[in-house]
Amino acid sequence: MSSAVAAPSGRPAFLRLRSHPLKIALVGNPNVGKSVVFGRLTGRYATVSNYPGTTVTITTGRALIGAEVCDVIDTPGVNALEGVLSEDERITKRLLSTGGAELIVQVADARNLRRALMLTSQLADTGLPMILVLNMVDEANARGITIDAEGLSAHLGIPVVEAVAPEGRGVAELREALPAATPVAGARPAGVSHIDWASSMTAEFRRVNVVSAGRLRETINRAVREPLTGLPILALVLYATYLFVGVFGAQTLVGALENHVFNGLINPAATTAAGLIPLPLIRDFLVGNYGLITMGLTYAMAIVLPVVTTFFLMFGFLEDSGYIPRLAIFSDRLFRSMGLNGKAVLPMVLGLGCDTMATMTTRILGTPKERLIAITLLALGVPCSAQLATIMGILGGISVWALLLLFGVVLSQMILVGFLAARALPGDRSDFILELPPIRLPRMRNLVTKTALRVRWYLGEAVPLFLVGTALLFVLDRIGALDLLTGAARPVVTGALGLPSESAGVFVMGFLRRDYGAAGLFKMAHDGSLTAVQSVVALTVMTLFVPCVANLLMIVRERGARTGMAILAAVTVIAIGTGTILNFALTTLRITF
Amino acid sequence: MTPGSRGRVSRITRDLTGRAERLAALGVTPGAPIRVLQTFPGIVFECDQTEVAVERTVARAILIERD
Repeated sequence: MSSAVAAPSGRPAFLRLRSHPLKIALVGNPNVGKSVVFGRLTGRYATVSNYPGTTVTITTGRALIGAEVCDVIDTPGVNALEGVLSEDERITKRLLSTGGAELIVQVADARNLRRALMLTSQLADTGLPMILVLNMVDEANARGITIDAEGLSAHLGIPVVEAVAPEGRGVAELREALPAATPVAGARPAGVSHIDWASSMTAEFRRVNVVSAGRLRETINRAVREPLTGLPILALVLYATYLFVGVFGAQTLVGALENHVFNGLINPAATTAAGLIPLPLIRDFLVGNYGLITMGLTYAMAIVLPVVTTFFLMFGFLEDSGYIPRLAIFSDRLFRSMGLNGKAVLPMVLGLGCDTMATMTTRILGTPKERLIAITLLALGVPCSAQLATIMGILGGISVWALLLLFGVVLSQMILVGFLAARALPGDRSDFILELPPIRLPRMRNLVTKTALRVRWYLGEAVPLFLVGTALLFVLDRIGALDLLTGAARPVVTGALGLPSESAGVFVMGFLRRDYGAAGLFKMAHDGSLTAVQSVVALTVMTLFVPCVANLLMIVRERGARTGMAILAAVTVIAIGTGTILNFALTTLRITF
Repeated sequence: MTPGSRGRVSRITRDLTGRAERLAALGVTPGAPIRVLQTFPGIVFECDQTEVAVERTVARAILIERD
């Protein structure tokens, strides 16, 4: 059956017999609040973030508009639909041109009318019925901006709704206005460019009383941006992160969960309960050495979950406040030496929480070459929360220098690999052009919701793989393959890396799950089986080692199996090579910590 | 360009990189009011309500008429 039966005036067929729900697309510039509008319409929350590319996939939801059930589609933020387009823009354009939407709701930032109207003009070219939502009118008014919404509506011939979506204002008006959506009647005349039309429209319908945008905000903005104050602030932020994630999360929360809840209650209970099972194989599978409950679940819930949650909370705060894009300014030079640009700071920092999620986020980078380099560097050197927890737990107890040495070595490897890859691979990197969203105090409710969503994603995606990894280890151990692999790895581990032979098993585990390996090392360090030097070497190799299963699968999904294998091989070689050199250097120079 | 200077964008040099389009999409187009906020370590400016950070090579493509 054909798509919407449009009334002669071009209106979509509301309240008519339809074969499918009406498809409404939310389109707009990045950071305008599309996802909040989406949430208000559908009751579902799509992650709200401050930088482009976060709505990486197209999210759909059902909304009840009056008596009509509609499909609402949240698109990634776009700045243009013509000319040189990013991947997000291409996806959105394809959606609009292939009948993926029958009605467009353009969400605009009232403070950036001209930019919004440039997009309006391009959207008008699609001929689809439209509504324009001017969001964040409160912040616009605070800046002295007033928009003649009625006049604009009359000129364009489409409904224009003013809104403050995070507070729910304007949503009811939007719902009422939807049946009145029609194709734009007052579009640009032939021969006039989108830009010129948008400029003249803005001049006609917008008044600006120049008001200084909050003295405090300006000062904070400048302080964060300028190197003299910015670098100390960065150090402070890192320290605060260390306190919150590294101390509170990795030590306090993990300690409580691991010792009291799991080792104190759950594991003994499980072991007793498993004692009732007649088959020793099943018993061991659940609560044995590589037991699903004693190892897999304990690890995922007691060790990784608290660290991941505290990390996402911290990261979300830094995101929403607008800090992270400003980090990009500082790191641009550094990233350019790696064949990337400042924008890469976003996935890289996110990788400290979860590399798999960060690999997804590399989509925001401009060129395929940059995305490949970023994915490789993430797989190589960026330790995820799980690893960070163990690294800080072990090395933090030794000395600050040990910690710094590890990070120094890992960072230098990343720069080296990035540099070489940038030379060796064909293609260019994109220019560093980044919009800086305004500095604002994050709204607690948004922050909590966003973190909860991320944690839920993590529980759904990563934890099952934890359990699969454990099960795999169990199987390998039972069939003797684990011992075989350990035997094969031993010469490398004891010879080149100078580590005790028991750690060979840990590395084989680390091959399957990098963070498991780190946890195994944690135990060894606690038992006193590792010297300080050995701890540093072992952890450095483990950090540089292969990505976890979840990350590897994501890499394959993004770049294909061949690339995945190539990255795997390269990373293994680099990890062992670096460990060997590090071991040699430390022992020869007789460095102790 | 020094921090604090104001002006209007007079021209954006076009080349094959597509940077002119990306800048335009952010609102950096001829005629737009622009205020330079910072030049080290990166270039940050405010153009018609939007704050943007760019690298030097991109900044060189933006020609400004001082107020």
